[in-house]
Amino acid sequence: MDAQNVDMFLMANSKYLEGHQMFQIRERLLTMDEPNWRMLQFMQFDDPVIILIVSLVTGPLAVDRFMLGDIGLGVVKLITCGGFGIWMLIDWVMIMGITRRKNTEKLMMAIY
Amino acid sequence: MSLSRNRFYWYLSLACLVGYGWLALVGRLEPEQVAVQYDVCLIRHFLHFPCPSCGSTRSVLSLLHGDIAGGLYWNPLGLLIFAALLVAPFWIGYDKLLKKDTLFQFFNLFENTLRRKWVAIPAIALILLNWIWNIYKNV
Repeated sequence: MDAQNVDMFLMANSKYLEGHQMFQIRERLLTMDEPNWRMLQFMQFDDPVIILIVSLVTGPLAVDRFMLGDIGLGVVKLITCGGFGIWMLIDWVMIMGITRRKNTEKLMMAIY
Repeated sequence: MSLSRNRFYWYLSLACLVGYGWLALVGRLEPEQVAVQYDVCLIRHFLHFPCPSCGSTRSVLSLLHGDIAGGLYWNPLGLLIFAALLVAPFWIGYDKLLKKDTLFQFFNLFENTLRRKWVAIPAIALILLNWIWNIYKNV
């Protein structure tokens, strides 16, 4: 794909992805063909801010973990009152990074 | 996408240690006294109503005292925690000793099963019903 489209895509989605992977993703996107590129345009990413808000509001219920697809960890977090509240506090700090990591992994799986 | 094998075993071992540590701390108490002396649930502490898993410690303690009815009354999720605490250390030990990952495979199977709508919807309904029952009992 041409560099302008790739840069537009990365600019539009940069808040969903890990910054340190951007160069590698850009290099890969530049070598992608048209059909795969079109498929990529419809890819949905989790918004780290939304997940953080969900985490702040429903921390002990582990809704944030369920939204990210961590079903097993979500069940453990739910049945332990958010890991006695400690895990919930850790997630408040970490959940945005976890969301970006998961989004990046999702994109990587789609483009490799 | 999901948890790596080594990280899974590390987290699970830590969870078991915390669980047994918690039981060692509250084990000397009667189940009814636990929530009075140690209020660890932030929902109950700040919002003054129980969360879906409130009563789990009392349930596990009741089960340790051989009181199955009490275990079910305080919180049916306690049975799940009791079974996990009982089985997990042996299963982790078995996998570590024989360099297998049967528990990790079971965890992945459990996750994939719960992702199916026909399992997830009844599971969510049961958790919500349990929560309503918890609020009704005011555990």
